[in-house]
Amino acid sequence: MRRRIAIVEDDAVIRANYADVLTKHGYEVSAYGARAPALAAMRSRLPDLVLLDIGLGDDVDGGFKLCQDLRALSATLPVVFLTARDGDFDLVSGLRMGADDYVTKNMSLPHLLARVSALFRRAELLREPAQTDSIIERGPLTLDLNRFAITWRGVPVDLTLTEFWLVHALAKFPGHVKNRDQLMSEAHIVVDDSTITSHIKRIRRKFSANDVKFDCVDTVYGLGYRWKAVD
Amino acid sequence: MTVNSNRAFGGRFALSIRAKLAIVALVLLVIPWVGYNYVKTIERLLRDNQVQAVVANARAVATALQDRPRLIELRASEAATSSEDPPRAASDEIKFLVTGLARAGSRIWIVDRRLQLVATAGNLDQPAAVLNEDLAFGPLEHAVRAVLRTVFERVQRPSTAVTEEIIPNDVVFGGREIERALDGTASWRWRAAPDGRAAILTALNPVWVGDRVAGVVVVEETTQPVVSLSNRALEQLVAVTLIAFLVGALTLFWFASSLSSRLRNLRDEAENAIDSQGRVRGLVAGEHARDEIGDLSRGFSTVLERLAQYNAYLETLAGRLTHELRTPIAVVRSSLDNIKLQEAAPGSDVYLGRAEEGLNRLETILTRMSEATRLEQTVRTGERETFDAKTVLAGCIAGYSAAYPQRRFALTMTDEPTLLSGAPDLFAQMLDKLAANAVDFASGDDPISVALYRRENTVVLRISNTGPLLPAEMKGRLFESMVSVRKESAQHEPHLGLGLYIVRQIAEFHGGSATATNRADGKGVEFELWFPVAA
Repeated sequence: MRRRIAIVEDDAVIRANYADVLTKHGYEVSAYGARAPALAAMRSRLPDLVLLDIGLGDDVDGGFKLCQDLRALSATLPVVFLTARDGDFDLVSGLRMGADDYVTKNMSLPHLLARVSALFRRAELLREPAQTDSIIERGPLTLDLNRFAITWRGVPVDLTLTEFWLVHALAKFPGHVKNRDQLMSEAHIVVDDSTITSHIKRIRRKFSANDVKFDCVDTVYGLGYRWKAVD
Repeated sequence: MTVNSNRAFGGRFALSIRAKLAIVALVLLVIPWVGYNYVKTIERLLRDNQVQAVVANARAVATALQDRPRLIELRASEAATSSEDPPRAASDEIKFLVTGLARAGSRIWIVDRRLQLVATAGNLDQPAAVLNEDLAFGPLEHAVRAVLRTVFERVQRPSTAVTEEIIPNDVVFGGREIERALDGTASWRWRAAPDGRAAILTALNPVWVGDRVAGVVVVEETTQPVVSLSNRALEQLVAVTLIAFLVGALTLFWFASSLSSRLRNLRDEAENAIDSQGRVRGLVAGEHARDEIGDLSRGFSTVLERLAQYNAYLETLAGRLTHELRTPIAVVRSSLDNIKLQEAAPGSDVYLGRAEEGLNRLETILTRMSEATRLEQTVRTGERETFDAKTVLAGCIAGYSAAYPQRRFALTMTDEPTLLSGAPDLFAQMLDKLAANAVDFASGDDPISVALYRRENTVVLRISNTGPLLPAEMKGRLFESMVSVRKESAQHEPHLGLGLYIVRQIAEFHGGSATATNRADGKGVEFELWFPVAA
């Protein structure tokens, strides 16, 4: 069965372009230009993944509201914010609304496709038992590459896709310094340096929420970041 | 300041407000002149009065004698027969009569036809009452008089000078007036008093006995009272004028000084209203004054406020542009990606590549702009921690040696603690910008020198490179948003002049400030940043 993706985007050209490329890659796409018709359609039939713009025409925060409504309909439906807004405030708000990821619009379509397929994989495999061959263990850290899930000292850490990719890039080779450009390409994003900095901050905070003594993500000033191995 | 004052006073004949008011005050000098003229007129009037009084007196004495021709006739005849023993009774009577008619301060002589003195009365000494000083002088004048006494005394010697005891001979003997009087004509004349200051008024009146002149009455008075009165008037005038002039001048001077100091304050503040970092501050000088200067200050504040709004608009421009540009770029990007996914027409790869390249450059611009915007937000809500600047700096410099292999870095750091309050990530970001800037502008083989040291309660970071100097017109503007001194042609990748703006934002976040100057040796540029040490 073809997977169904809903795009809610007020710019007709971008909407069409995204729809085209996703259709070409075998997804079934329904595109909406405003919040009300999108919500009505999704109420009657929930898609498998939603790409959301925040500003929907005159509805400045329409995406946020829609995201909340969708979360009320389904807790597991993957939602990705795809927006022109790149401020920390919007990013944090978006993720707090329950979105699985937050990316800016200048992302290239291959990057977007990678993200979409990763999200589908994650949603699908969450219901199946973990396969041992796709598991990386680094001391107390466990990464499940198939399901894009991470546990720290046995407790799952709830990371977005971007954050997962960043942790994976760092933890793959503990002790190696990854600069920001490397981290961006591994996380399939094109952002400025300070966005990487705030991603790293958020990752640290999420780990620290479970373990106050967490300090494995090490800043190497002038170079980048590295994963500090612990026993 | 010299440059400023030249500009402020431009022109060769420029005068400060104070000088102008001083010139205006000179008009006051006309007051003593008018006063002097007035006093002199009064003095003339008094003298005329005196003349009339003296002449009247002489006439009165003569009339009295005419009624008693015996006295003068007798006196004359006796004198002719025996000058040894004048009869007492007649002499006492004439003396009594003349003394009764003499005014205070006047002297009366009576001379007969042979110019022999018949009787005399009175003298020219001043009646004392006129000189009562306490009557006319107020305390203020007293004070001024005390100060100016020496001056006054030199100008007008007190008239204690002896008055002549007798009428000089030239008046009586050989005087034309006395001859005319003996011919029957009354007359009067002025002559100088022996002290040289006052004048003596002599009035002559013939004494008729029957139809011939039996003798002459000579009445003399000095103008001493008038002179002394006018002197005192002048003295008062000088005192009052001086006081008025002094008070007026002081008031004007104070007024002018306060005016020019207010204006100066306003000017200084207006000049510094836009600081070296390009921020605009309002004016406070004369803000509440309810005069024209207050209006000027408020008007200027309004202008500055608009400028500040415009500046704020410019600073957020980058942020708005990023936001607005992102959507069309997404349109282009997604369209290009779609083309690439299709079966491309032969030869279209080249153009696709070029479009991609252009798009990437656009995105670099966008990334730079969003970096600045994002930083503004971070700085606004930034969390702070205490970190050691040395650790961050050492790490960064090690990183730069790898990032810029073509350029050496010479690092010197103090051993003293250099703890700052802020965000190490931001501090590193700031160092990145400074290093990139230094590397881009450095020329020659000299390393970029980086120094971190303590100066009292501040940590000073100095980064200096050899290379082109800062253009004079960019002085103080370098840290503004979207200001760049890079030459267009030399750019390999887009530069928006946001790097140093970011430096400034981060420096300020750490409570510090940044300056860029040409090096003292004139071979390069030096960036200096100060940060307060964390408590």
